[in-house]
Amino acid sequence: MELDPKTMRTTKPGIKPVILTLIVPFSFILGFPLLWKSVEIYRSPLPFCGIEAFSSQLDSKPLHFRCQFQAMFLGFNFTASNDVAEAIINKMSLLNPNSSQCGNCGAYEVSVVIDSGTSCMRTENSKAQCPFKCGEEVAFFGGKLSDENVDELLRGCLGNVDGGGNVYSVVVVNGGDKEAEVRAVVGKYRHAWILGGVLEEKALSRVAEIFAKVFMNGRSEGDSIRAKFMPVGADGRIVLSFSLLNAEPRDWIYDWNFREIDEILLQPVIQSLQPIANITVESQVLYHTQKSSFSYWDEVLGSHISSTKDLPFFVDSNEWHLDTSVAAGGRSKVLQLLVYIPSAKECPLQLELPNGDLSNTNGFISRVIHLAFKFSLLNMWGGGVVWNPQSCIKDLESKDPPRHMISTQVFLSLMNCHCLVTRQLNEVSVFHRDSHNVWELDVLSQNHVCLNLYSCAATLGSLSRLVMISLEAAKFAQSNASAGIYDASAVSSRQARALAEDSFFHPSVMSISYYSYWHSVSIYAPYFLLVIKPVILPVLSEWKRYKQENMKFVAWKAKAKVT
Amino acid sequence: MALLSRKGTLFLLFLFSIFLLSASASNGSGEEEEEFWEELLLKPLPDRKVLSHFHFQNEAPLSDSFARHHHLFPKSIAQLVKKFHIKAMELSFTQGRWNYERWGGFDPISSHNAKPPGVELWAVFDVPPHQVDASWKDLTHALSGLFCASINFLESSTTYSAPKWTFQSALGSLRYGTLPREAVCTENLTPWLKLLPCRDKAGLSALMDRPSIYKSFYHSQRLHLTQAKTGANPKNSRVVLEQTLTVVLQPNILTGGTNYVSEAKMQPSWSLSSIFGRKINGRCVLAKSSNVYLQVERGLVTQLENLQSSTATFAANGTNLDDFGRNVGFELSVNPDRVLKEVEKSSSILYEYPIKVHKDSEQFDLGITWKHPVIWSTPHVPLYASRFLMGSGNERGAIAICMKSTESTQELVAANYVDQRCNFQVNVLQIVPWYIKVYYHTLQLFVDEKPQILTDFVERMHVSPSEDKVSPGLMELVLKLPCEVKSAVLNIEFDKGFLHIDEYPPDANQGFDIPSAIISFPDFNAGLQFSDNSLSKTPMLSKLQERSPVISYTEVLLVPLTTPDFSMPYNVITITCTVFALYFGSLLNALRRRVGEEERRLNDKGGKKDALLNRVLGKLSSKFRGRSSVSSQPSSSSSSSLISPKLILRVLLVAGIAVAWQYYS
Repeated sequence: MELDPKTMRTTKPGIKPVILTLIVPFSFILGFPLLWKSVEIYRSPLPFCGIEAFSSQLDSKPLHFRCQFQAMFLGFNFTASNDVAEAIINKMSLLNPNSSQCGNCGAYEVSVVIDSGTSCMRTENSKAQCPFKCGEEVAFFGGKLSDENVDELLRGCLGNVDGGGNVYSVVVVNGGDKEAEVRAVVGKYRHAWILGGVLEEKALSRVAEIFAKVFMNGRSEGDSIRAKFMPVGADGRIVLSFSLLNAEPRDWIYDWNFREIDEILLQPVIQSLQPIANITVESQVLYHTQKSSFSYWDEVLGSHISSTKDLPFFVDSNEWHLDTSVAAGGRSKVLQLLVYIPSAKECPLQLELPNGDLSNTNGFISRVIHLAFKFSLLNMWGGGVVWNPQSCIKDLESKDPPRHMISTQVFLSLMNCHCLVTRQLNEVSVFHRDSHNVWELDVLSQNHVCLNLYSCAATLGSLSRLVMISLEAAKFAQSNASAGIYDASAVSSRQARALAEDSFFHPSVMSISYYSYWHSVSIYAPYFLLVIKPVILPVLSEWKRYKQENMKFVAWKAKAKVT
Repeated sequence: MALLSRKGTLFLLFLFSIFLLSASASNGSGEEEEEFWEELLLKPLPDRKVLSHFHFQNEAPLSDSFARHHHLFPKSIAQLVKKFHIKAMELSFTQGRWNYERWGGFDPISSHNAKPPGVELWAVFDVPPHQVDASWKDLTHALSGLFCASINFLESSTTYSAPKWTFQSALGSLRYGTLPREAVCTENLTPWLKLLPCRDKAGLSALMDRPSIYKSFYHSQRLHLTQAKTGANPKNSRVVLEQTLTVVLQPNILTGGTNYVSEAKMQPSWSLSSIFGRKINGRCVLAKSSNVYLQVERGLVTQLENLQSSTATFAANGTNLDDFGRNVGFELSVNPDRVLKEVEKSSSILYEYPIKVHKDSEQFDLGITWKHPVIWSTPHVPLYASRFLMGSGNERGAIAICMKSTESTQELVAANYVDQRCNFQVNVLQIVPWYIKVYYHTLQLFVDEKPQILTDFVERMHVSPSEDKVSPGLMELVLKLPCEVKSAVLNIEFDKGFLHIDEYPPDANQGFDIPSAIISFPDFNAGLQFSDNSLSKTPMLSKLQERSPVISYTEVLLVPLTTPDFSMPYNVITITCTVFALYFGSLLNALRRRVGEEERRLNDKGGKKDALLNRVLGKLSSKFRGRSSVSSQPSSSSSSSLISPKLILRVLLVAGIAVAWQYYS
């Protein structure tokens, strides 16, 4: 039998070299977990499950507030109160199809009281007295008293001012006379009233409209929550920074007593917004602050005109030191509110709207400025108003420039401009009241709870890190919301959000972003790559050789069998 | 109405709706107002330079609305004061070194405004002792952001300390820190100017031409905060913010002078426009007063008086320096409104120029034209201090602070000649970083070049030794030196420490700075006394007349420390990897070797051409080994041994290349 040494061998190839070469990488593999453990980044154990559950719960089951509505019909003859309640609920769901959205009244119940004068009916869930205590008074004085007085009267009767009940009521008084003018007024507190000759069917739809459009939605048409959101900083604070800008103090100097303005005008608002945000007010007077956009002289109007298209250049951030407050930390929101006094050269100064009209307020509010600052990360900026001195003629005789004080009244009228505009925009159709309304605050705080919870969940979720306290606060906010305690839920949702943000900036979390997984790989990779070549290559070549030799042996065996 | 977009928020609605209903408020306020002053002091210096010293003062009552509503006072500073409970604070940015010999050290300007290079910060806090450090840390960060400087480096406890006696007594709530290497430039001046109501748009600050300031020999911008009590009631106290900019400039020589006395000896004539390139266009309308002063020093006044008496014509006319500078020495381009003279006999003179409201036609440009060469000297510090390093090498060294007497001390001797035992006090503050390990027991004192026993001269001593990576070393000495002292030298030895590789700053080979030592003389009063006390005092005048101790700073020292090879970690990784790779490679190679098989293959390939290279290499290697070529028959012993000579040769070759590379590269 011939043996070709190139293709055959008589002995079985040895497995020893293969095993030997395998031992080395194998020991490497054994040692690897040990090494991996030693270079591991320490991460504190966090309630990931809790965070996951919380955000998935928010996604699947949007937060809903428990809302109670109460319709009171005086001088009507409905047959069954339950049918009336059903009809109202149906109409409301038609009017407000987005009720599944977060922050809306999810589970609302409508109770009905029908007081026809002679008999009184009410649904089972109603807590109101039947017959309605001051029904007669309302019916009698309804048309005669001023709206404010009616409001107070109803407040006395219904008694749901703050906290507690949170029942939204609409009182419909049938004026009897079918031709009488129908007036629907939404009060300052959580109630509205309709006076005049109303048909039964009309009354139902009006009531449903007020419930759905006003009390549930805060009268705004926008779908997004952002539209109704107040620009609260991540830590739940807002700084209102008022600046009085004297463009050219050599012409005239204006000053204000802002301390007084603050105490008299601003503090009440700040107090009422306390659950939603911690607001502080600051003011400063700046000088030599020329605007950096150009204005042109208009003969017809007799004034200098600055186009609102140039607003991005109106605020000269280089020279206007509107700088943020030191007292406000990095995440507090600062709203800049400006009063600009033009110099004698450009007095009077008017702002022209994009459509060619003059702005009757001579002011602008945040969103426009927001566009101007779209490259900076501010989503709300504040607003400004140009205030022209009464006489634009500079006194050349006097040595010192004249000094004026902006009185509280002037300031008031300046701010009214802003105010009126915002009012118009908010579709004041049937309902008109000029004050801050409890129900509006309700809607605001509902939206806030919602948005705060969402951003809390998003921050926590994206980080998947830290802090049970934040979760607890969020849960507390939820439970408060379903219990109907709006103020408390706003407070704890704010807390939850602030804590979540805090956790983001916590040093232990920072280490993760600074020392990432890929960072560690890139540090150790060169070390192992160099060693891995002489360890892996022999294994491969030995294995290849073993297979070859084995083939030879098999070939020889086959040949031996044949022969 | 796209402008007033439909998205107007409910929030704004609420906010402004309140204005509609709210009751109108009454006018008028009875409270104290915020005030602002601006002043500029110009002074010719003996070495043909000009000192210009800008002084801005801002005052605000410490009322309830402090830090919230402001009219003139910078809100950002007020908020700092309120947030960190600052009682007093001083921050200075300095570039260049104050020349105590030529520019003087015994006057209020140099005593307050001559600062060590870089950043110096001290602050007194009104908080319980355990919160002082936390407040300091927060303050450094806030200031860092406010002034675009790396003041936040002072946050580390290794950079600041708490001296007891050098600054005003603050009972442990004072913190002091310096950054000698901080570079100062326009980015620090701009935020500083922002604090002024007129910024550099109008008034005296409009003179601040950046190129002129930054090409100066010395410039120091300072911010000083104090709380001044105006009455018994603490509610009545006011916060006083002083902002000063001190610049020493070399005026461009105005040519065309008719006097042909050698130009080299002549003081250069200058004007505001020639040193700053600008004129004053009117005052800042918000300032309560806006003044420019020209100070003529004691030494110069004496020289001019001597000159005057020797010149018969002037003496006959009876002109003196009070007459608006129409004297023999120099001429002023503008007549001053007021001339202030010091009470003492040979005293300095101050010319005052109030700046008026802006008129396009008039511009204020004060100039001085020298008519006669004058040489004078400025009043010196009682002891001129300098500091230097001794020793060599990277292990140890010594710091010496040398103080030499000047004419001021001699005057003191003359004044107290009757009293035989005349002494004066000198406070020395020396702070050293922890890596300079000072041995305090080695402190030596030489008075008039003779070693002395410390306890004879040291009245009090406060030492807080440094702690590695925790706190710097601090030494405060209160010395009582005899008036007739000629020189005093303090000498202290130190070891140089080692830093962790992470702790070295970039460019560690430059060396490490030891902050300036502070030498103060509480027995000497730098203030001036002007005769016109009845007239209204502006902040500048009251600052000049303030009784304050003389303070001087020594140079910053540069200590070279041993620096590690910063590429070491990478070298270690590389060499470990190489060793590992070689080890595993050769181990596995040896394990896998099949001797008989290789020989067989070699025989098979023997006749082929591609073995040529091998043969050549083999020949070469055998030649190296000094053997005869036996290439045709590879010896079985050599190939069977685990460490083949070929392998050794290769390793050696690689190593040789590496060594050559390392050596020649």
